[in-house]
Amino acid sequence: MSKRIDVHHVTRVEGHGNIVVEVANSQLKECRFDVVETPRFFEAMLLGRPYTEASHITSRICGICATGHATTSLRASEKALGIEPSQQTVLLRKLSFHGEILDSHILHVYMLVAPDFLGVGSVIPLASSHPEVVLRALRMKKLSGDMCAIVTGRHTHPIAMTVGGFTHFPKRAELESLRQRLEAARADVDATVELFASLPWPQFERDTEYISLTKPDEYAFIDGEIKSSDGMKLPIESYREVTNEYMVPHSTAKFTRFQRESYMVGALARFNNNYDQLHPRAKAAAAALGMKPKVTNTYLNSGAQVVEITHCIEDAILIVDQLLEKGVTPEEPVAPTRQSGEGVGSCDVPRGILFHHYWIGEDGNITGANCIIPTNQNIANLEADMRVLVPQIMDKPVDGMRLDLEMMVRAYDPCISCSVHVAKLVTK
Amino acid sequence: MEPRTLVIGIGNPLQCDDGLGACAAQLLAEEALPAGVQIEELGTPGWGLVNFLQGWQRVILIDAVCMGEEPGTWRRLEKDEIQLVASDQVRSLHEPGLAESLSLAQTLGLLPDEIVLYGVEPACIQPGDKLSPAVRQAMPPLIKHILGELWKKTQTPNGSF
Repeated sequence: MSKRIDVHHVTRVEGHGNIVVEVANSQLKECRFDVVETPRFFEAMLLGRPYTEASHITSRICGICATGHATTSLRASEKALGIEPSQQTVLLRKLSFHGEILDSHILHVYMLVAPDFLGVGSVIPLASSHPEVVLRALRMKKLSGDMCAIVTGRHTHPIAMTVGGFTHFPKRAELESLRQRLEAARADVDATVELFASLPWPQFERDTEYISLTKPDEYAFIDGEIKSSDGMKLPIESYREVTNEYMVPHSTAKFTRFQRESYMVGALARFNNNYDQLHPRAKAAAAALGMKPKVTNTYLNSGAQVVEITHCIEDAILIVDQLLEKGVTPEEPVAPTRQSGEGVGSCDVPRGILFHHYWIGEDGNITGANCIIPTNQNIANLEADMRVLVPQIMDKPVDGMRLDLEMMVRAYDPCISCSVHVAKLVTK
Repeated sequence: MEPRTLVIGIGNPLQCDDGLGACAAQLLAEEALPAGVQIEELGTPGWGLVNFLQGWQRVILIDAVCMGEEPGTWRRLEKDEIQLVASDQVRSLHEPGLAESLSLAQTLGLLPDEIVLYGVEPACIQPGDKLSPAVRQAMPPLIKHILGELWKKTQTPNGSF
């Protein structure tokens, strides 16, 4: 008996990817996740451009992770040019970053994951069968989008974030109103935790290496060190020792491996590595979801996203309180202390750890750029998960196998259009 | 007067002609506009588009749409026509696409009374930050047409325009 599953362009993931699984005589013959998106030449587009444009260019890589790319880009330029942003800038960036984590996670768990659990094909029938669930998601998404817009001056693609600071500042009344809305959103967060805690999460266990940022004093999203769950910390400048990118024939994205054959990045990696720093309400959400580190069920990456939704709402309230207490003062961006240099920026964006590495020449133009995106760090791990999953589900009818595999892919929340970049672009 | 009409430019300016909606929104924002009209350049908003449709009497969308026409050709599509093409001919350039976002908004009863899509046939969707000549040439008449529509539909009670 043989079965072959070809799922072309898995629905409900960002961008396009194909699952190819072949089982013959109860033996797994083939199992891979192809990435077929046209390579995107964003790194090439940076070459020869002023560093001041880099965050705006890279924020257009993705409509979901626009602030994440922009922030990582700014940190790369700032490190290259010896710029230390002010405390106010750090707080404002954190606030907009939380907005984007919320926005992305809410979309993923409600629009992409929930339809699987609630037995509907996509969010559109879900909107007919459970309109209150989709309206809640849209309400929460609106809050998180507005949170980004208040800080960065625009929805979707930030405009007010610049190297060394901001060009636009939120007004006191905007922050006060945001704080009220964040407090009011607790009811929606509680309902979200309740909904996802009640869902039948698939059983699956496979221990792997989890890689995320880490910081001594907070749950890390911006800056810090690279942490492996296998017990190692490295400075972000050493990212290449962790990512070890390599090419495989079936994918236009590069694969990565560190201390094992593959590693995982994203909400579950952050949860496993930095659980202690979660807000108490987020830990309570984790308990409701039955999650305590180390969680090795990949499907629970989406559960970790629900935990982070709780954390980001609570932490955003604390950040707004700090901003209100100190008052937001319009300030000039911090000026460079040198004209040229090399710098690595890293943020743990919704889908996992992201690196931007820039070389800036004396004329202020970018002479080299390397961007390593979360999704391509996850693809080797996804294939390793599928190799374990397929023998467990190969007795199911093909449709059942297909759904299990698609759900596994969706658990990673892959953004495949972002994960593809050309092999060699540093011209230094 | 409270804003009544929202014009939304959609698309990724780093994918050549996919950025035409963003370009059109920027061009419109530089023009004199009637009271009650707001322009938004949303880039690639995905499902986020649904949240922008609420609370407006009229929403005008501008996006690259593969219609099988000559590059640079644009069509003004109304509500029913958008649904017609969304189900079949139009392959949206975003994920989730315009069709999916509008369908979700309709299911939830969130569509504005009037919704119009200006679809422009792209020549080139690939990494790059320049519009193709055909689409670039289509911009001035398209902008002029949209401005005409905006001024016509928001005339003041004494009919000054």
